[in-house]
Amino acid sequence: MASLQPHAEYVQQLQSPNPVDVYMALRTIKNAIIGSSTKKSLYFRLHIIPHVSALLAMDDTDVQIRIQATTIVSSLAHKGEDAAKELLEGGVMVSLISQIMPGTDALLMEASERALNALLSYTGTKMSAEEHTYSLVPYLLSIVTKAKDSAQIFEMRTHARIELAVLILGKLCVTESRQFTVANAGAIELLVPLLLRGYPRLQIATLRTISALSYENMEICRALAAVPHDGRALPAILLELAQHQDPEIRLQACVCISNLSRMRASGGAARDIQSIAVPALAKLLRCPDVGVLQVVQALGYLCHEDAEMQIAAKNAGVIADIIHIIAETESRDGADFVDSEHNIQVAKAGFLALGTIVSAGEECRTKAVENQMLAYLVRAMDHRDDGIKAAACLCTQYIVRSVPICRTHVSESGILKPLLRLVRHDTPEVQMTATAALINLLPDFSPLRAEALKENVVDILVELLDSKITMVRRNALWCIRNLLVNIDDGTRRTIIDKVGIGRICAISHPDSEPVIREQAAGVLQNITAENDQGTLAIFDCLGAGQTVDMLTGLLDPQTDTPTQVHGLYLVNNIAVRSQAYCEYIAKHRALLQAIVALVTSPISEVAVGALWCVNSIASHKMPTARGSNSNSGGSGGEDGEPRYLAELEELGVQAILEGMLGDASLCLSVRDRVKSCLDYYAPLAI
Amino acid sequence: MSEAPIAKSDLNQLIMNYLIIEGYKDAAEKFSEESGLTHNVDLGSIEERMQIRFAVQSGDIRAAIERVNDLNPDLLDTDPRLYFHLQQQHLIELIRQGKAEEALEFAQEELAPHGEEHPELLRELEKTMALLAFDVVGDSPLADLLDFSHRQKTANELNAALLAAHSQPKEPKLPALLQLLAWTQEQLDEKANYPRINNIVNAVLEPPATETAAAGDSASANTQRT
Repeated sequence: MASLQPHAEYVQQLQSPNPVDVYMALRTIKNAIIGSSTKKSLYFRLHIIPHVSALLAMDDTDVQIRIQATTIVSSLAHKGEDAAKELLEGGVMVSLISQIMPGTDALLMEASERALNALLSYTGTKMSAEEHTYSLVPYLLSIVTKAKDSAQIFEMRTHARIELAVLILGKLCVTESRQFTVANAGAIELLVPLLLRGYPRLQIATLRTISALSYENMEICRALAAVPHDGRALPAILLELAQHQDPEIRLQACVCISNLSRMRASGGAARDIQSIAVPALAKLLRCPDVGVLQVVQALGYLCHEDAEMQIAAKNAGVIADIIHIIAETESRDGADFVDSEHNIQVAKAGFLALGTIVSAGEECRTKAVENQMLAYLVRAMDHRDDGIKAAACLCTQYIVRSVPICRTHVSESGILKPLLRLVRHDTPEVQMTATAALINLLPDFSPLRAEALKENVVDILVELLDSKITMVRRNALWCIRNLLVNIDDGTRRTIIDKVGIGRICAISHPDSEPVIREQAAGVLQNITAENDQGTLAIFDCLGAGQTVDMLTGLLDPQTDTPTQVHGLYLVNNIAVRSQAYCEYIAKHRALLQAIVALVTSPISEVAVGALWCVNSIASHKMPTARGSNSNSGGSGGEDGEPRYLAELEELGVQAILEGMLGDASLCLSVRDRVKSCLDYYAPLAI
Repeated sequence: MSEAPIAKSDLNQLIMNYLIIEGYKDAAEKFSEESGLTHNVDLGSIEERMQIRFAVQSGDIRAAIERVNDLNPDLLDTDPRLYFHLQQQHLIELIRQGKAEEALEFAQEELAPHGEEHPELLRELEKTMALLAFDVVGDSPLADLLDFSHRQKTANELNAALLAAHSQPKEPKLPALLQLLAWTQEQLDEKANYPRINNIVNAVLEPPATETAAAGDSASANTQRT
């Protein structure tokens, strides 16, 4: 280990009254720390920050000393986020901002910009720069304005200053309000022309800043797309840059295009994006001169929730290429001379991007499975890194959305056992994604359902209902909901007993989180769907009074739509199977009112559900001389008047239905159901 | 083919590009003056770049690093591979001078921690450190590290990084075009008789010959740069 002595002496020398000594010490320290993380740490330990900060804060510090001190700040900031935070806490920001004011020495201005650029390279420091944003933006824009019109833009120092100013502007854009601050100060009009100046570094900096400025901001995306430059709109310029010879420019242009595309602000260039940007990114996956991580992330972002873009990606060979990249990361994993952290990041990004690309289309999922995707997913679920596990689960969730794949390849993949381990993982992110994937493996068509039941999935899910994580509880309920569809009576009984009707009814209470309540209502709907086993269990557990109160609560106008829909079908299931239980519904005025009120809901799904309830209630008939009353079989065997006609008529149901029949604006599914309900009524006298 | 229009200004641009990238500042200034070529390159920066290159070629890595840090202090902080290669070259210079103890100390203090942070560089470090195991390094299988060409390689890498930082192409266009010419003629040789450039010094299109050894001539001319 080298002696600290000479370095401590250099730090000591910074307090010398002789400016030449101070300058020489600063210069030595600067040359020692640039590039060397070890030396940076050493000078942090020697408490260099207060010394440098003090030199910058003094009004009479010589410019040359300032340049060296500022360069030290810049280099120390490159060490990492903690170092940058320590520098900001040391109070260097105000000095640096004052050193980029118009009229400052050009070299000092450049050094200060470099320091600001380095300090603002991290999420934490970018966020904490809030108080300085308003003072920084005008100075930075003035640097861009002054330099961009200069005939000497190619002069190395001028070029560096404008590039750095542009980069810092982008780094400030980490919140929507800051994006607007930068845009409203006139950045858009200044930035777009820089894309055409033909200086690659400046073009890359400008593209990065446009990307930060437009990220997830529809208003700014539209403003950017509307600014013509030399008669061309930004999407056209970006598409041209997506074909530039410099791969970094191609990548950054594609990232900007993704932002505009996601905000639907690409001005009708969707087809061009599919035919230019997607293949450009696909080609960059194989380019050694750009970071594969950023390319994969850009593809994932561009394809997010855009089925056509996903197909374009598949056609450009992206699925096979990303799987190849994942395979490479797998083979490098744990090897010597490999940046393991980066390797993990790439693998994780690969799984996430693939998940996005296969999220909508059957063709894409098939392509992924043909390229052995499932085998990589199974192995990734056992990876030591939790981020990779979670990403693999997310990808699995989307792949197994496919019924044919679920029926065939998935059953032989060996995915169930690792997934069942991960649903009980101690990391929330892994648990959430694993349970979400499990949902899609438990429907009646999945061959893995039986295997899961053998692996005691019900006990696992019951355990997860106690999770502190809302999304895990929600996913566990959803799994139970899927398990209850088309299952044999014995297993249904077992599930009902293990889960506990009382528990499900309790969590369908209005106090529960909406997503939990929705799934609890879905479970109750499915429990009662196929026979009266579930209805009996509910009434046995709660009694008639509490049951109808719960049902009324589910149909409350304040309840969110998905829960209402489950509530309506639960009511329908109870009403249709048994006249005895229907009696409780039909005679409960508040519940019946709630049903009738939803008949005219503008949401067709709700209206259809409510009409099914009316239909089921109306289906129970009075006994006639020819027949006898029965407690079972809703619509079977009775020839008399509808038993609950009076209750329905008190609420004017027939008039409501007749009125709806004449409403041409109603969708066909609602009108069909209205007609079915009216079959129980004689036509109204005109 | 000989009638294909080639603008004089395009040829001038190619030459200017070569002079600038390769660092012939005086020639570039003169050529710019004589050809009346307007350029968008900071000629002043060429000299600084050439001084840095010269320092590396002379084995004075410390001086080169200091100059780089004055010119663009971000460069070595943001390009760990380049920084490593400069430090590696310094280590090689210490070994060349027989300063084994100093070399060992330098490797432990500077290069090893850097290698730990960037494991992909460790293989190169191991290879360089192996030089210390030989009494007569010139006879070792790693003697190529001590060759002048290794300094040249490091100097080229640094020059390319400085050029890229200034939005300049990393390599001149002219050698790449000559390589393309050689490759194209090689391809054509197998398929057709055509007017050929057999000597790139005079660049005269010669009529098809029955036998030619010109492809080899062109290829050897093209490899002179490296």
